[in-house]
Amino acid sequence: MISRLLDLFLAYEVDPNVNLIILKGNGRAFCAGGDVAAVVHDIRKANWKSGAQFFSKEFILNYVMATYTKPQVSILNGIVMGGGNGVTMHGRFRVATETSVFAMPETALGLFPDVGASYFLSRLPGFFGEYVGLTGARLDGAEMLACGLATHFVPATKLSLLEEALHKVDSSDSAIISAIIDCYSQQPYLKDQSAYRRLDVIDRCFSRKTVEDILSALEKEYMDKADDWIKNTIQSLKKASPTSLKISLRSIREGRIQGVGQCLTREFRMVCHVMEGKLSKDFFEGCRAILLDKDRNPKWEPARLELISEGMVEQYFSRMDDEEWDDLKLPSRSNFVLPGHAIAKL
Amino acid sequence: MSSESPTDRASRRTRILSNHLTTSDLQVGGNSLQSNICLSYSPPELHEKIEFEVRKMRELLDVHNLQDRDWLFGLMMQSKLFNPQEKGGKVFVMPDFNHTKEQQREMTMKRIEYLLERGVFDGWLTTRGPETEMRKFAFMETLGIFDQSLAIKIGVHFFLWGGAIQFFGTKRHHDKWLRDTETYRIKGCFAMTELGHGSNVRGIETVATYDPKTDEFVITTPCESAQKYWIGGAANHATHTVVFSQLNINGRNQGVHAFIVQLRDFDGNICPNIRIADCGHKIGLNGVDNGRIWFDNVRIPRENLLNSVADVTPDGQYKSAIQDPDQRFAAFLAPLTSGRVTISLSAIYSAQIGLAIAIRYALSRRAFSFVPNEPEVLLLDYPSHQRRLLPLVAKTYAMTCAGNYLKKMYVKRTPESNKTIHVVSSGFKAVLTWHNMRTLQECREACGGQGLKTENQVGHLKGEYDVQSTFEGDNNVLMQQVSKALLGEFIAAKKKNKPFKGLGLEYMNEPWPVIPSQLTSDILRSSNFQITTLRLRERDLLNRFAAEMSQHQSSGVNKEYAFALGYQLAEDLGRAFSDRIIFETFLNDEGTVSTGPMKDVVGKLRSLYALTCMEEDAAFLRYGYLSTEKAAAVRAEVAKLCSELRPHALGLVSSFGVPGAFLSPIAFNWIDSNAWSSSSA
Repeated sequence: MISRLLDLFLAYEVDPNVNLIILKGNGRAFCAGGDVAAVVHDIRKANWKSGAQFFSKEFILNYVMATYTKPQVSILNGIVMGGGNGVTMHGRFRVATETSVFAMPETALGLFPDVGASYFLSRLPGFFGEYVGLTGARLDGAEMLACGLATHFVPATKLSLLEEALHKVDSSDSAIISAIIDCYSQQPYLKDQSAYRRLDVIDRCFSRKTVEDILSALEKEYMDKADDWIKNTIQSLKKASPTSLKISLRSIREGRIQGVGQCLTREFRMVCHVMEGKLSKDFFEGCRAILLDKDRNPKWEPARLELISEGMVEQYFSRMDDEEWDDLKLPSRSNFVLPGHAIAKL
Repeated sequence: MSSESPTDRASRRTRILSNHLTTSDLQVGGNSLQSNICLSYSPPELHEKIEFEVRKMRELLDVHNLQDRDWLFGLMMQSKLFNPQEKGGKVFVMPDFNHTKEQQREMTMKRIEYLLERGVFDGWLTTRGPETEMRKFAFMETLGIFDQSLAIKIGVHFFLWGGAIQFFGTKRHHDKWLRDTETYRIKGCFAMTELGHGSNVRGIETVATYDPKTDEFVITTPCESAQKYWIGGAANHATHTVVFSQLNINGRNQGVHAFIVQLRDFDGNICPNIRIADCGHKIGLNGVDNGRIWFDNVRIPRENLLNSVADVTPDGQYKSAIQDPDQRFAAFLAPLTSGRVTISLSAIYSAQIGLAIAIRYALSRRAFSFVPNEPEVLLLDYPSHQRRLLPLVAKTYAMTCAGNYLKKMYVKRTPESNKTIHVVSSGFKAVLTWHNMRTLQECREACGGQGLKTENQVGHLKGEYDVQSTFEGDNNVLMQQVSKALLGEFIAAKKKNKPFKGLGLEYMNEPWPVIPSQLTSDILRSSNFQITTLRLRERDLLNRFAAEMSQHQSSGVNKEYAFALGYQLAEDLGRAFSDRIIFETFLNDEGTVSTGPMKDVVGKLRSLYALTCMEEDAAFLRYGYLSTEKAAAVRAEVAKLCSELRPHALGLVSSFGVPGAFLSPIAFNWIDSNAWSSSSA
């Protein structure tokens, strides 16, 4: 599917008959993420490189989308998770609905928010990106719009009208397309319990330097004022792979000062280390516990944050120690005149 | 430069202008893929290749606490307090310099409170050791990249006030003040400079007299020239200060000592017998509240004397372990070296900002064509533009390594290394801050009119950083101190007939070197030739300086006046010494890079650094270290190296590790950031 999408995107870019691309899900969910179980199966059968190759294609697709010359309108109806966010969040327009459910749940799987999440999460207001990326918190459509993950909110009932209108557009001009989506858009109500209304607490806690500091800041908040949301937040952090949390935090922090290409290249290194399984096998354990055996009881190794040194984290960011293995090769985009919003991502 | 005829040029202008008019209404509905004659911004990321790993190069430059730095960058980028502004689709953080000085000061204070809350200053004064010190340095460098005022205001509080308590004080002071300083319960400042005395601290006129009847010191400003001047933090925020004052015991002056005086109560009211006035608006650093202070017989408890060097007993006896007043004074000032370390480093990071902006602009801005009707040429593809900027990049690389060497030496300091630290930090502070000012001016000019806009940093930073050549020791005075120290080494070695040891002067024990008669490219690029030539200059200048001094003195001129007369050689020697050590540190760091594309680039930078030093200093020709032919060969090689480094320009400035948000709009999409649609502000 990733290969097919990439081929289509590359072909549409030079096809003068294509003005814009509409990406939508087929069925109730938009996309629940990449087929991680298949990747694990591939690795078991062959070696980590076959798993890594899948990510290589996926990340290249993410890069092409981020630097695309034509507007991409993604209609985020239903669940959008992991890899689903990779093929939408880099595009120009992201339309949420009342059925949208966003999450980057990788830390619970022993992975980390990839597909360029270190680029788009780190650019959310304050430290909301750290919160979303580390806890795997689910966001609804209103929350996605509020924090900027979605550019528009259109009620599901109006989606077919919107699509119709978009089909008629004879332009690649972002302003025109944005104006059309605006016609069907609504300002949704942000629920009272929304995490986005807790941005002050999130900023206070998730701005801390280390995962340990974030946890103790949350625990301090909880002592000052016991509250279910903080309790759940602490619990999701405690359930996640400690290694994943540490590399995810560093990835988001580095991503904040990197362009989208650098982010994807770095994430690719990280993903290769994860697939190789030399530094930690948490990814395989996470897949076993969540996707295969479904006992939801992963045994992380190392099991505690304080057992993971900075040096161990550092290794995930280094080039693979393999003569035959290269860093991610991003396709050249120098033959295109990129639109301003794409240039800004470099 | 352009071969276009005036008519060609006129017709081209007409074409472009008419194009602006005719396409203006087409723009909205037009296909963005259609090419038109209007310029579009072509991001350097897409057309420049980077052949080494930027991450590794950044490690070579930043060396330590990289994640801490990135964390702090993020803390600033994600807070509204740091005035984020979207320009051309990118967010930039920068203080609002359109604010009045009062507003800028309040914003600086608010930013400090935010950083404090987020734990940036945890352990700055309550933990010790090399790790803490390196982390502090990294944070100071990072904060200074956002705003020099912010770094200075924090530096005064922690390094000057806090440092004075740590180094001049004893346990009772540490217990009482350090924790409260770290949490900003109290805000400290540092009152040393007076209207009448700056670099010559021993001449200050403020007096502290001991009154044994009440067990107090009485601090007095006896005349207008004794008012404390430029005291950062004094005008608005400081609650306490360290005051440097002559100590008078029973009518006898014991020299300069340091005392703690409270300036304001916790509601911000100025304490009795203290007068404070503002230093007014400045050419830069308006986020720092510099003030002037007068003391009208202010009484403070005897315990407020910072007594690590000397103490006064309740009955008024003066006690000091160091009998010699010269040594006592030196012991006082030695710990303040940290100021020169942070200044040197912040100067280098400022030069990095300037160069990253000017080079990125030169990789996206075009001017004139070599051939009529051909596309215009990128600024950085002009050899002249390369010659203006790339040697400054090479120097900045070399001096970054030098700064790191200085930091390491400071952090590992021992009583024996104090003298070396003093000499090296004096030389580096002068050379690095001068380099920064020169770099910023060149970058400003290289950015043309855009360099004049405050938002584009390069011009504005000149005002912010100009003070660096003055504070913590005037650069010229520091250079003379370096030469004085070298002369001391020279005389000691000659008199005692002992070999040179220390300050890297061991090479002077060897026979004089010979410069090869033919300077081929290979020789010019060999570190052996480069170090030999730089040492030759230093060694010869030192011999000449010593000869001149002894000549003056044998004709009856006193030592101090002889120094004043010998200023020409003294300044040349100070520079020769600093250049040589900078080169050695760079060469040493180059040695740590493993073979590959990155090492090749670093080697070229090292050669460009050394050869630029030779090209720029007339001493090489004046005293004949290089013949005119050899000097011409050096110059030709500089141009060659510039063109070889041109393809690496983007990688070199990306490796400075200054995030885009801390650069400026002209470093990125300057067409979009200037578009009509973004001109509301």
